[in-house]
Amino acid sequence: MNYLKAMLGALLLLSGAALAEISVIVHPSNTVSVDQSDLNRLFLGRGSNFSDGNRATPLNLAEGQAAREHFDTQVLNRSSAQLKAYWSRLVFTGKGTPPAEHPNAAAMKAAVAADPTAIGYIASSDVDDTVRVVATF
Amino acid sequence: MKKSLLVTASGLLLMQPLAHANVDISGYASVIGGRVLSGSGVEAFDLPPTFLANYPLVGVYEKEWTFKPDTRFGLQFRANLMDGLSATAQVVARGADDFDARFEWAYLSYDLNDHWTLQAGKKRLPLYYYSDFFDVGYAYLWIRPPADNYTWQIFNYTGVNAMFNYFVGDWDISGNIYTGREDDKENKLLSQFFGSVPVREIWKDIVGGVVNLNRDWLDIRLTYMTYINERYRTIDGIEERVTWGDSLTRRGKFAGISVNMDFGDWLLLSELNRLDLDGSKFDTYMVSAGYRINQFTPYISFADFDSENEKHNTTSLGLRWDFHSNAAFKFQYDDVNDKGVPGWEVAGDSKSVSFGIDLVF
Repeated sequence: MNYLKAMLGALLLLSGAALAEISVIVHPSNTVSVDQSDLNRLFLGRGSNFSDGNRATPLNLAEGQAAREHFDTQVLNRSSAQLKAYWSRLVFTGKGTPPAEHPNAAAMKAAVAADPTAIGYIASSDVDDTVRVVATF
Repeated sequence: MKKSLLVTASGLLLMQPLAHANVDISGYASVIGGRVLSGSGVEAFDLPPTFLANYPLVGVYEKEWTFKPDTRFGLQFRANLMDGLSATAQVVARGADDFDARFEWAYLSYDLNDHWTLQAGKKRLPLYYYSDFFDVGYAYLWIRPPADNYTWQIFNYTGVNAMFNYFVGDWDISGNIYTGREDDKENKLLSQFFGSVPVREIWKDIVGGVVNLNRDWLDIRLTYMTYINERYRTIDGIEERVTWGDSLTRRGKFAGISVNMDFGDWLLLSELNRLDLDGSKFDTYMVSAGYRINQFTPYISFADFDSENEKHNTTSLGLRWDFHSNAAFKFQYDDVNDKGVPGWEVAGDSKSVSFGIDLVF
């Protein structure tokens, strides 16, 4: 019985971690609006500007972070393996470099708060007023 | 005293690079083994059962297990000099060349603006869809791009390339235009497989362009290239010029279209190309389908080469397994049907298996 409860708890925790909402964040001074197709364009290296024409610097969380997995599958609609195959093609043909990676939410927030061109994402529970939220998924 | 000064001075030199560049090192590797299960070979050429898996590099499988034909390692160094300027070099070591490492890419890249990038140096000739990432097995589905299509003898070129990228409506429109030449002093395919004397192959006045149209799950690529072919053969140490009829050169015109769909769990890939060499037509096409089941992607593929004399096709079945975040395991079965007119066979019929791992880092 206890064992079952523990299993259930673990399952809930696991699914909770995978399903936790993420927030797409930019510098507080950046007033741009961003939709999913903008995010695809920026995070797949197909464009380097926000929809208002200003330069954008996309930032990824490191692989293995739950929010990264959520962003890849829910926003970019691709598995991590598909994205790695996609980027390896661009990297080794001189057509692009993937977004820089930050190890965790704290590092991501610090990077976005310091750069008016930055755009990144973190778990919504990690959001504070050093950054502005432009979308949630 | 003088000596120690000198030591200090050289120490300083070592410690201060000429420019502050971030050098990124990345790489890829494929370790593939395989063998021919059964095959006809070509009696007229004294060729035993053979599967020519890679034309340009002469990657050949026979009835003994081998890991050489498709195995390769690549290392890329990219120095970012800031303000849009970078220098990239790629060193590749191939089993087919006894792991003799060579610089296959070496170019400068400069971002003119948000849409255009100028590159100059040595690069892969971007003829077919998979040409420029031919070596990066991790980036595509099969063990290798279908051999019947990828039958070029010239692989790289030295010249200039202008790349562009625009976003129009929901379409991402990108591409490049390039010009250059390649002088291959001893062409491996012509010297070692299709012939027995050293052949120098020159492709000059190369001018080409590629346009990619991308939208969600749809990817369309158009390619065109024209060049002048010059060829020399060395017999008993004397280089003689190859002629075609009365002419010393031939003009090649290459055109192709590729349509790919990545829709949900389905992957549909196709490619159709024609090379016109002074009126002779060489047609190739390929269709492949894959279906993703979590980390597993089983696939089937059919590729065909057709010309007046040389005719062959390959049916392939395989599986890609993304077992690791940086690596994929692949297994593939290839059934080659060589219908070349007598004297124009490539390697005869064959049935082969190959398997291995592709990784990127």
